[in-house]
Amino acid sequence: MSQQSPEVLPDEFSLIQSKGTLDWAYASFILASTAAAMDKKVELFFSFYGLKCLFKDTSGLKISPLGRPDMLIRSPVGPQWFRKIDWNQNLPGLVWTLPGMSALATTAFKKQMKAQGQLPIEELRALCLELGVKMTACQMTLEAMGIGESELIDGIEFAGAPSYFAHTPSTQSLFV
Amino acid sequence: MPVIKLKKFLAQNPDLIDAFEMSVSDQGALRDIPAFCAQQNLHCVLKEQAGSVIRFEIQRQTI
Repeated sequence: MSQQSPEVLPDEFSLIQSKGTLDWAYASFILASTAAAMDKKVELFFSFYGLKCLFKDTSGLKISPLGRPDMLIRSPVGPQWFRKIDWNQNLPGLVWTLPGMSALATTAFKKQMKAQGQLPIEELRALCLELGVKMTACQMTLEAMGIGESELIDGIEFAGAPSYFAHTPSTQSLFV
Repeated sequence: MPVIKLKKFLAQNPDLIDAFEMSVSDQGALRDIPAFCAQQNLHCVLKEQAGSVIRFEIQRQTI
């Protein structure tokens, strides 16, 4: 698959980030940095809760298994049979409402990413900018949620949906 | 992120035309590095796959 005429791929990649959780921030920034490294023109548009990915302070980026039946939660330690258990399927959902569960999940996720050789999220984001990824924060969301431009990182642009569509390729990927 | 590290290395050494070796521990690199090299017009040979370490020899195509 890897050898199949790579030149037919479009040289532009665009993604609308609507989620502001740590896992989806990683998913988008990993894709964006890779696409940029492969000389694609990359545009990320941050809308609604996706704006959280652009805050200078990344401590607000968390994950929680609460209300996330899609999340696979397996133990990284223990015997093989134990590691195969998906705790998200086998524990009652109420467990994730306990205090500290989100912090626990976030810490575990960060460790998992580090073990995969991934950078901390703020460094990965800086790397994206360094590689030339263009990031645009949705002006309308900013105003609607009362977020100040100074709360977001430097090196990004502020614009509404019309200017996004005016400047981006027809191939768009949406992270729902 | 072997692909990004390779890209950065190439960007930092724009005049390098000799072949160089790259060792990676990321198993995904086995497919990703050759795919990246094909797209970037680089010559890539898998030299060794010993345990968790994968070694590639990479060279810029001169033509």
